[in-house]
Amino acid sequence: MKVTFPHLGTMHIFCKAIAETAGIPYILPPETSRKTLSLGVLHSNECICLPFKIILGNFIEALRMGADTIVMVGSGPPCRLGLYDLVQKVILEDLGLHYRWLTIPPRLTWKAIWKNHEETRELRKELSLKNVLFFPYALWMGWRKMTFCETLERLAMKVRARETKKGETQKRFKSALSWVDEAKTSKTLEEAFRSGRNLLQETVQDFSRIPLRVAIVGELYTVMDPHINRGVEQKLGELGVEVTRTSWFSSHIRRSLRKGNVNDRIRFLDASKAYLGYDVGAECNISIGEAILRSREGYDGVVHLMPFACMPETTASGILTKVGKDWNIPILTITLDEQEIEGRIETLLEAFVEMLEWKKKAA
Amino acid sequence: MEKKGRIGIPRALMFYRYVPFWRTFFESLGWEAIVSEGVGKKGKIIYFEDSCLPMKLLVTHATSLAGEVDHLFVPRLVSLHPKYILCPKFRGAPDIVRLAIEKKVSILDETIDLRTRKHSYRNAFSKIGEKLNASTKEIHSAFSKAERSYSSFQNEWVDRINRLPTKDLFRLEVPTPVLPKTLSPDEPALRVAFIGHPYNLFDTDINKDILGLAKQLGMRILTSDLLSEEVIEHEISNLSKEIYWSSGREIVGSLFHFLSGGVDGVVFITSFKCGIDALLQEFVKRVLRIRGGSSVPFLVLSFDEHTGREGLTTRLEAFKDVIEERKRQASNDKNPIPNKFQ
Repeated sequence: MKVTFPHLGTMHIFCKAIAETAGIPYILPPETSRKTLSLGVLHSNECICLPFKIILGNFIEALRMGADTIVMVGSGPPCRLGLYDLVQKVILEDLGLHYRWLTIPPRLTWKAIWKNHEETRELRKELSLKNVLFFPYALWMGWRKMTFCETLERLAMKVRARETKKGETQKRFKSALSWVDEAKTSKTLEEAFRSGRNLLQETVQDFSRIPLRVAIVGELYTVMDPHINRGVEQKLGELGVEVTRTSWFSSHIRRSLRKGNVNDRIRFLDASKAYLGYDVGAECNISIGEAILRSREGYDGVVHLMPFACMPETTASGILTKVGKDWNIPILTITLDEQEIEGRIETLLEAFVEMLEWKKKAA
Repeated sequence: MEKKGRIGIPRALMFYRYVPFWRTFFESLGWEAIVSEGVGKKGKIIYFEDSCLPMKLLVTHATSLAGEVDHLFVPRLVSLHPKYILCPKFRGAPDIVRLAIEKKVSILDETIDLRTRKHSYRNAFSKIGEKLNASTKEIHSAFSKAERSYSSFQNEWVDRINRLPTKDLFRLEVPTPVLPKTLSPDEPALRVAFIGHPYNLFDTDINKDILGLAKQLGMRILTSDLLSEEVIEHEISNLSKEIYWSSGREIVGSLFHFLSGGVDGVVFITSFKCGIDALLQEFVKRVLRIRGGSSVPFLVLSFDEHTGREGLTTRLEAFKDVIEERKRQASNDKNPIPNKFQ
């Protein structure tokens, strides 16, 4: 058995930690690249959303490297994410790739647990006692690593806006992440995190600057994964903008476990009601609500990210143009697809930030 | 009888399935139901959002009605099936319409979600009736009338498609032509299934009247309306995950059904950027490939506002040639080579 999982921001660190700690053999798909995307594009069609293509590309690469078991978080209606597995399974089968599929239930219901039980029947035979015994500890390690990664990323978002040497924070952030990734025991992990945090804090910063504040909202894959959004977060940061986002891997897991702080989400949903009278699904209402609340909180702008032809976010983008006018907050919607648009995004962001600066000066 | 006022029904989206019900309901309550005209060649489509053509047309139709009517009927369609849902974009449709029409207009945007009792068809229409100041008794009788009108329309529907020009299909005042009993219906040689969302199939602004074109070429049109829900459910009963869009189920089920035989050709009509169709189309293609192809010729036509009728004609004529060639081969050779589906 060789387990594999898709890339999503720093999620691979989480998955890898679980597999490593529990001693389950795994194959990490190569970092999402142009080739990954081309594979996904080749084996789907133009109106299927970008996350589908990238995940498919990850799977094809991992299976070709020898993985045989795909672990994927499931999802449900109303958007297409819930049927990714249905379609990806037949595509992989058509390509002649062999795999077993394990869905992690998005919501813990009896039906989902039963399905999971069925799917793991074969797999469990291949697990040793050690794997099973270590699994709870492995989950805990994974969760710790993930929260550490996210804390580091939040810190990097703050530091980046004030760095004096462009690109310095990103370099330090990368090595901090790799330290956390490489830590094997709970003690070394703690140390890795602390030294990573110090490394980031020691970046030479210009504290006299008051950076612009921008919130990133939108579809969760495009918001969370720098490969999908071509590093919007980093680019904004390096233009001297302090970026905020509420879409984190841990927050989505907490939400599906119905634990933790869901107040933010309820707040955003409530705020969106003036514009959208029904929960459209996925992040649609959240994007709208967050844009409204961020404007009230005095943010300078909002960047809305969505994959091309995304069903819920298309509705959101239409409404957001109105929200921007009503609340006097600039909103930049960036639609992402497989085209090589990194340069265009850079130009868009530069112009956007410049506009925000003028707006601030005029006020 | 003096009309109480005018209610505008945009000729878009689920209009193409439920218009007999909607119109009869409002007319029985004493309101005049105004259905918007098509955009045609000269009209302009309003681009409020960067969505699929059917959604843009909804906004366009609603806007064209806004100044002329007392209420606009744009229901919030969440689900029209006890188990399955509709496209998520439909949920935001009334809000999009409200924001796109800058003028103030009253929109009847009652939620219809047949998965719950609270938002059942009857409850939703009762609430609409109340908003229109109708008594419970009036609503009740209007609802029954609407139900009857809908079911009689459904019974004639299959004949209607083949005997009426597309523009008259949804004009309730045009009766379905009855063929004299002595004459056997002159069955054209080619039986072609046209599959897709009802608005893609019947909105001539989307499909440039492909059905009319097909009839001119001597095709007899079959649609998924011919199939019972059991047949469709049977075709998609053992998928690894349940498809949760009712329209998607209908499309995938009827595609599998017709592609396994019984017809001379299958045409799948989709709008560019339709999320459901894009994903499920890929699914159907791959499943067919795994099964070793289909012996029925299959054409996928994707429409947007730039599609021209000339290109469409060429493709449909070519498709007809393929079908005829296949038929000829089949009659010469009893064991036709299965077409490697591409």
